[in-house]
Amino acid sequence: MKKNNFLLIVFVLFVTSINSQTFDFNVNLISDELKTDANSVIRFENYHIDMTSQREMTIKLKTAITILNKKAKNHANITLAHDKRRIVKSVKAYYYNAYGKEIKKVKKKDFKDYSASDGFSLYNDGRYLHYSYTPTTYPFTVYYEYEIKTSNTAFISGWILNGSYNQSIEKSKFEFTYPEDIKLLKSEKNFEGYTVQKTEKTGLIAYEVENVKAIESEVHSPNLGSFLPIVRLGVNKFNLEGIDGEANNWKEFGKWYYNNLIQSTLDLPQVTKDEIKKLTKGIDNPKEKAKIVYKYVQDKVRYISVQVGIGGFKPMQASAVDKLSYGDCKALTNYTATLLNAVGVEAYHALIYGGSRGKKSIDANVVSQQGNHMVLYVPIEDENLWLECTSQNTPFADGGDFTDDRDALVITPDGGVIKHTRVYDDTENLQKINASYTLNNDGSIVADVKMVSSGTQFDNHLGFESLSDKKLDKQYKEFWDNINNMNITKMNAVNNKKEGKFEESVSFTADNYGAINGDRILFPINAFNVVSYVPKRMRNRKLPIEITRGFYDVDAVEVTLPSDYKIEAIPDTVSVDTKYGTYKLTIEKISENKLKYTREFLLKAGKYPKEEYGDYRNFRKKVAKYDKSKIVLIKQ
Amino acid sequence: MKKIGVILLLLMFSQTSFAQDYKFGKVSKQELEEQFYPLDSSANAAYLYKKRRTYTTITNGQIRLITDVYVRLKIYNKEGFDWATESQNLYGTSNSNSEKLSNLKAVTYNLENGKIVETKLDKDNVFTEQASKYKKVKKFTMPNLKKGSVVEWKYKIYSPFFTMIDDVVVQYKIPVKKYDAQISFLSYFSFNKRQKGYYPFKIIESSKRNIDFHTQDKVIKISEKNVPAIIQEPYVNNINNYSAALQLEVASLTAPTLGLFENYATSWDEIAKDIFKNTSFGGELKKTGHLKDDIILLKSKFTTPNAKIFGALEYVKKKIKWNGIYGLYSYNGLRKAYKEGVGNIADINLTLVVVLKELGLNASPVLVSTRNHGIPLYPTKRGFNYVIANVKTAEGNILLDASEKYSLPNVLPLRAINWKGTIVKKDGTVGFVNLASLTTSFEETNLNYKITNDGLIEGMNRTKYKNYASLKYRKKYGSTKEDDIISEIEEKNDDIEIVNFRISNLKDIFKPLVEIYKFEKEEGVEIIGDKMYINPLLFIATSENPFKIASREYPVDFGTPWEEKVNVLIQIPEGYTIESLPENLGIEMTENLGLFIYMIKKQGNQVQITSLIKINNSIISANYYQELKKMFKQIVSKQNEKIILTKI
Repeated sequence: MKKNNFLLIVFVLFVTSINSQTFDFNVNLISDELKTDANSVIRFENYHIDMTSQREMTIKLKTAITILNKKAKNHANITLAHDKRRIVKSVKAYYYNAYGKEIKKVKKKDFKDYSASDGFSLYNDGRYLHYSYTPTTYPFTVYYEYEIKTSNTAFISGWILNGSYNQSIEKSKFEFTYPEDIKLLKSEKNFEGYTVQKTEKTGLIAYEVENVKAIESEVHSPNLGSFLPIVRLGVNKFNLEGIDGEANNWKEFGKWYYNNLIQSTLDLPQVTKDEIKKLTKGIDNPKEKAKIVYKYVQDKVRYISVQVGIGGFKPMQASAVDKLSYGDCKALTNYTATLLNAVGVEAYHALIYGGSRGKKSIDANVVSQQGNHMVLYVPIEDENLWLECTSQNTPFADGGDFTDDRDALVITPDGGVIKHTRVYDDTENLQKINASYTLNNDGSIVADVKMVSSGTQFDNHLGFESLSDKKLDKQYKEFWDNINNMNITKMNAVNNKKEGKFEESVSFTADNYGAINGDRILFPINAFNVVSYVPKRMRNRKLPIEITRGFYDVDAVEVTLPSDYKIEAIPDTVSVDTKYGTYKLTIEKISENKLKYTREFLLKAGKYPKEEYGDYRNFRKKVAKYDKSKIVLIKQ
Repeated sequence: MKKIGVILLLLMFSQTSFAQDYKFGKVSKQELEEQFYPLDSSANAAYLYKKRRTYTTITNGQIRLITDVYVRLKIYNKEGFDWATESQNLYGTSNSNSEKLSNLKAVTYNLENGKIVETKLDKDNVFTEQASKYKKVKKFTMPNLKKGSVVEWKYKIYSPFFTMIDDVVVQYKIPVKKYDAQISFLSYFSFNKRQKGYYPFKIIESSKRNIDFHTQDKVIKISEKNVPAIIQEPYVNNINNYSAALQLEVASLTAPTLGLFENYATSWDEIAKDIFKNTSFGGELKKTGHLKDDIILLKSKFTTPNAKIFGALEYVKKKIKWNGIYGLYSYNGLRKAYKEGVGNIADINLTLVVVLKELGLNASPVLVSTRNHGIPLYPTKRGFNYVIANVKTAEGNILLDASEKYSLPNVLPLRAINWKGTIVKKDGTVGFVNLASLTTSFEETNLNYKITNDGLIEGMNRTKYKNYASLKYRKKYGSTKEDDIISEIEEKNDDIEIVNFRISNLKDIFKPLVEIYKFEKEEGVEIIGDKMYINPLLFIATSENPFKIASREYPVDFGTPWEEKVNVLIQIPEGYTIESLPENLGIEMTENLGLFIYMIKKQGNQVQITSLIKINNSIISANYYQELKKMFKQIVSKQNEKIILTKI
């Protein structure tokens, strides 16, 4: 006890040593090094989380940020999430001009209180306290401090250094204090290259860093979170929305989760059990059964999100979903699980981070409440199937780029297990075009295109399924924006969910595809798949390169030439082979007025050092160039 | 005779079988069986019936506005499910002075094995969200929804805010089979009405005896069948401006028994006077004390009227920054806005009017309805949400908006460019000024380049931006690092390499904005065999026709008239001779709406091209869509035609 008191005093002393009264907010004090590439500078941040018991925790932040220009304007605004179990005890802010003179003082009553309506939930009980500041001149500095009290000790926001692009840091300190009877679980990542001062004692862990340069966002760079210093924390005794929990490892955590948040929700009505048994009658293969159940769910329910209290973590009762025919990811996953169990197929809830841009994993090193999404894990013999239960269009066990290639926490009655989700090979993300077109004497074309997409490329086309004819017509005109004056005569977009393929067929005519210049017609041979994107030239690349997902396009097209013309010039066969991918364009003459071209473009997923940016760019430049290869015809 | 009898019978029969019963709960099997909306098979859902009754009543000497809503909605497919979620805003701060929703009843109907099965909405699944201090939102979504479901809901809203009548919206993004609205008001009220949108609908006005108060109620009825869905199209201002609706505003209220004599608005002059009377508008215009010292300074610095206008505009821009909030009335008062350096639109532009007046100019505020707010066609206070300043000079009206950093005299931010502005003069009379065609947005590019034998292009590009084009450019690049601007231009312009770059007057808005750069482009031309193919306008050429859809229902809105001129001078490589050049072309649209001119000539080893696109009206009616689309087709084709060179 004595020891703890002593620590507390030290802490108070430390905090008072750096605060708004003593700090000089003059902007000129910021070093040039920290101004480079920076739109804002964190002058200091003191983040202190004080866990006083399993059911009580105080979060305190004192920070000062200098906003150098308009682009960092939002960092001058303050937003605090709160709800029934997360109370903002105090908050205040001061604004200072460039010379460090106070220009505005903001009290708690000046903040506006908003519903945290997230735009997709029907209802969400979260709220925001928000203050919005209108800058009159730049640069200026905002200082704010707040204190939040919460009983939700299941989440301890860790320390993410430099979480924003174009923001440098003069000083950042994070501190977590906790009672003696609590065991701390932690995960530290990406400390290399940073001088992090770490203090660890009984009941305390702290990190501190000084002078961190700003990072500029660059194309094809990895997620910030994958290379910045990050500390994630968890505790072995916690409370979630009023429910106590204890877990020292994933097995225990999973057990707790199952017993408290899942077990009681598995109440599928007998009528529905009988119905699903009837539907799967005579089928023994568990995968086939699962397919029938998945289709049943897709046909019955829709995604509606309602998040109230523990409902943010605990699924809605299966019986309620059965009656309402709607629910959020947890509710629909849970419902599907009960249906699968009813027909004797094993299925387990899995917590995961959903998102197409990055592939964020559950951090296996720190046992804690993680994830923002739930999917269903179905182990069938040697196969691991992952079912996305919120979508009515997704093929069976083919969730695409929203949940691919990452660690998820699978909850079973025996406890939790970390498992990796499906990885799509570059060549699995396939788009195949089989087409033909005729070029007429007046330069117009008549085209028939068949296109089949699968893997993550399935996702790119999926949206087309639900479009009205008018919108679909517009979509195709935008999809082939290399062809002007398009007049679509026939189109069909079919989600072949059963085979996980998106099948499209489009017929159209277009004037002026070939450009008539006197006696000649010039036309691009590759009509249906022009990848003209070239990453921009960068004079000073700083971040490594990451191609998150690869893809593979294969086109085979037959071209009929106009009767009045003969070929004057034709591009040679092209083949490019690099570590980033391959490209091949072959043109064959199959008869006097018929050509056939095949085009294959494979982009590989991968990580490369920054020095290779130019090489990668050259590869894409070549692809862009060869994709525009032209044929010249001359009047005969 | 017999024959006629049969026909009559048939007619009667068909009538009974097709007549729908629009009482709550009387959903028919036929409605549930319907696979698609007969008049528009692409509809994901349709309102089979939409009913609204709005009326006034008096309780305890207080006027209350009551609205009954009843909806019968058909869901044809899963994409239509979203329509089965309802959210209703309820305004008010205190319990006694707030809008309230009651008598909610909602049912989903499905056809199961040929039987109609009902699922009621539970109270537990109705949510109330406190969106802000002033606003609650009631939300619910219908249970047990399936492809083919029919849902119904009805509720009542009590409102103490009897002058705030929600728009009577007739047209939605899904079709409406039967629409029935009736707005009845105590005879104490008189209204301003405004009908908007492109779909015509009939308004029937009548009066009806009110037995409770022994007066004649004023009744407005709208009864429509088969209202088509409104469809989003590119280059439209704000799609809500185009949907059919009736807007009602209480103009006056004379209720001697309640001691109420209110005159809200009847004519433009009345509205102007009314707005002027408001202390947060006209009242603020009288306050000049806090500006005294600054005015003296401005007076000594600027002497000519023109200098005064420029000076006042820049002064107010610097003094008061916009907090992002629109408004016709000053929020905290001009003095406070000045002191804090922050204000809403009215704070800023009313200060500008005051300063201009103090400098001896004939300045007045101009009431504006922003693009997202719609078009005020009828005298209405609610029609305005924005104010700018006008100075009457010998050369005409000069409009100013100090809320936008890069605005210029008569070059306003796009948000304020919407139809007409209403000038409120000192004597309370009004005048109108067309906002859309104040100035032409202007871009002129001079592109000079030479081509080497191996297809390398080396050149210089100089682009001058004027008026709205300069505002747009400055807004986009005003606070961007030069390196980033260069990268962006390189990427946008077909991956050229910029070797030397300069922008003149990016910040100095009163001087012409000019962007100059030297560039190189490897393989900038195509060399095939012994021929060289040059796309003479390079990256400046319009490569895509923005008008893709076959036909159009709403006008094309460009914001302002515009002009794009390109002058190209090409030096052809030695050892090559010109084999063919594109031909000259000139197109003029009817009624001088727009034109395209393309002229090319050769002079020795040089080729010179002038290309001009001009759109003279900011808004082009849908009648001319085909012509406009065709002109752009020709622009794309002509600007991409090639020069062919042959090796000597």
